[in-house]
Amino acid sequence: MKGLTLRNLHKTYFDLNMGSRVTAVQDVSLHIREGEFVAVVGPSGCGKSTILNMVAGFLPATKGEVLVGDRPVKGPGPDRGVVFQNFALFPWKTVIDNVGFGLKMRGIPKPERDRIAREFLALAGLTNAADRYPNELSGGMQQRVGVVRALANEPDVLLMDEPFASVDAQTRMTLQEELTRIWQERRHTVLFITHDVGEAVFLADRVIVLSKGQVLREIDIPISRPRAWDTVSEQDDFKRLSSEVLQMVRSA
Amino acid sequence: MSQLGQVLEQYGRWAARWPTIAALVPFLPIVALWWGVAAAEVFPRAFFPGPLEVVNGFAVLTYKGILPAYLEDSIGRLALGAACGIAIGVPLGLLVGLNRAAHTALWPLVLFFQAIGDIAWLPLLLIWFGFGLTTMTFVIVYTVIFPVVFNTALGVRSIAPELVRAALSLGASRIAVLREVILPGALPNIMTGLRNGLGYGWRALIAAEIIVGTSGIGFMMFDARRAGSAVEIVIGMIVLGLLWYVVDAWILAPIERATGQRWGLIARS
Ligand SMILES: Nc1ncnc2c1ncn2[C@@H]1O[C@H](COP(=O)(O)OP(=O)(O)OP(=O)(O)O)[C@@H](O)[C@H]1O
Ligand SMILES: [Mg+2]
Repeated sequence: MKGLTLRNLHKTYFDLNMGSRVTAVQDVSLHIREGEFVAVVGPSGCGKSTILNMVAGFLPATKGEVLVGDRPVKGPGPDRGVVFQNFALFPWKTVIDNVGFGLKMRGIPKPERDRIAREFLALAGLTNAADRYPNELSGGMQQRVGVVRALANEPDVLLMDEPFASVDAQTRMTLQEELTRIWQERRHTVLFITHDVGEAVFLADRVIVLSKGQVLREIDIPISRPRAWDTVSEQDDFKRLSSEVLQMVRSA
Repeated sequence: MSQLGQVLEQYGRWAARWPTIAALVPFLPIVALWWGVAAAEVFPRAFFPGPLEVVNGFAVLTYKGILPAYLEDSIGRLALGAACGIAIGVPLGLLVGLNRAAHTALWPLVLFFQAIGDIAWLPLLLIWFGFGLTTMTFVIVYTVIFPVVFNTALGVRSIAPELVRAALSLGASRIAVLREVILPGALPNIMTGLRNGLGYGWRALIAAEIIVGTSGIGFMMFDARRAGSAVEIVIGMIVLGLLWYVVDAWILAPIERATGQRWGLIARS
């Protein structure tokens, strides 16, 4: 496990429709400590996905740099596991082969990677889904696979871009609780992108509010763990922090 | 009306249980009509043979070994064409689908040469290669390649960029991305291209055999014309249809079902 540092990140796009440059991310600096869970919230179009894509190495930064530990990011790599909003599971691979994919890329033989993959599947209650294809699973199950696939590769940092945005509200709460549970056991360094304020406050140690490509504010979330929705949602701390963050996001 | 609906529904259930027999049922009225017209002797029997004469002719040709030998020639050419078409078409399609520069450079050529069409090449091919296997192989490979290139490129472009990104952040190399994401992702389209390509190729081959003619089903049919044997021509036609049915329904369609449909990439039909 390692920390994650964003140093003076800039991103400008060339907008083909307008024929001009658009600044999506402007001088964002951020340090996520080893084992810390940081959520970034902000209104649509404020540059959240752009930041995550630069951290993941999918997009080159216009200026600035990203460091995993003290190693600069040059492109996508297995040190940063990514969970996608639309799951991005390989449709032609069974669940167990999806989860074992990273291990396969490392040259680990099939029996060994199946054993490891099964352990991780059990972690998310997916033992019975091992031999199914992704299109045979519900959205909630697919995203469990997405999370577990990233975890099984033992990345230093976990990057998640609105991972629960496309499942129904009940499933989302369950997934959020499962994520906090798994995170508490393994203490990954997490960068979690969302536009859902409640989700950010519920999950994170620290919430970053983003506005027009810039960090507006950082708020620590000192709510005790383990966190479960029935108890957390009743806490005054949670209510106060949520409304505080919400006001900031709305003014952003 | 609702009674007809019920009958059709029942038939649908029955057909699902006995697919092989169900595939034959639609031909019954056609054969009956054929029989009727032939028996009524609307046309002279020698020009318009009935089903029985054709079945008879079929037995004789098979017994003499002519039909099996010609069939073997035609199928061999089809297989050769398919193999070459895949070997050239798939890599070319991947290149065009993956690389913008390759797309810019090759696409106009692909469109241009596809438009020329296989048979249009024949006069020139006959000058170059004469009446022989080379000419026929060229025609069939030419016909198979374009649909394969087109559909492979289409398949590559239809792959969600997230899948490539996911593979890269799980540690996949460029080659691994090609093997684990691009190829399987494009496979349903490649199969569609192959299915179309072989369909066109099969027809082009028969045309080439008729013109180039040394052996094969097409040659047999044209040769029968010289001898005035309508029976052999009809046999040739039936064999063409049957063979394609077998290739499509027993080989290509099952592969499509096992890949694209199983993975949810293509809707089940
Ligand atoms: N490829 C691109 N070309 C041009 N402009 C882009 C491109 N991608 C994003 N942008 C612009 O950059 C800004 C930030 O986009 P980004 O996708 O990072 O926002 P976001 O915060 O993730 O929004 P959402 O919550 O809707 O996902 C937006 O104004 C968007 O229009
Ligand atoms: Mg986004």
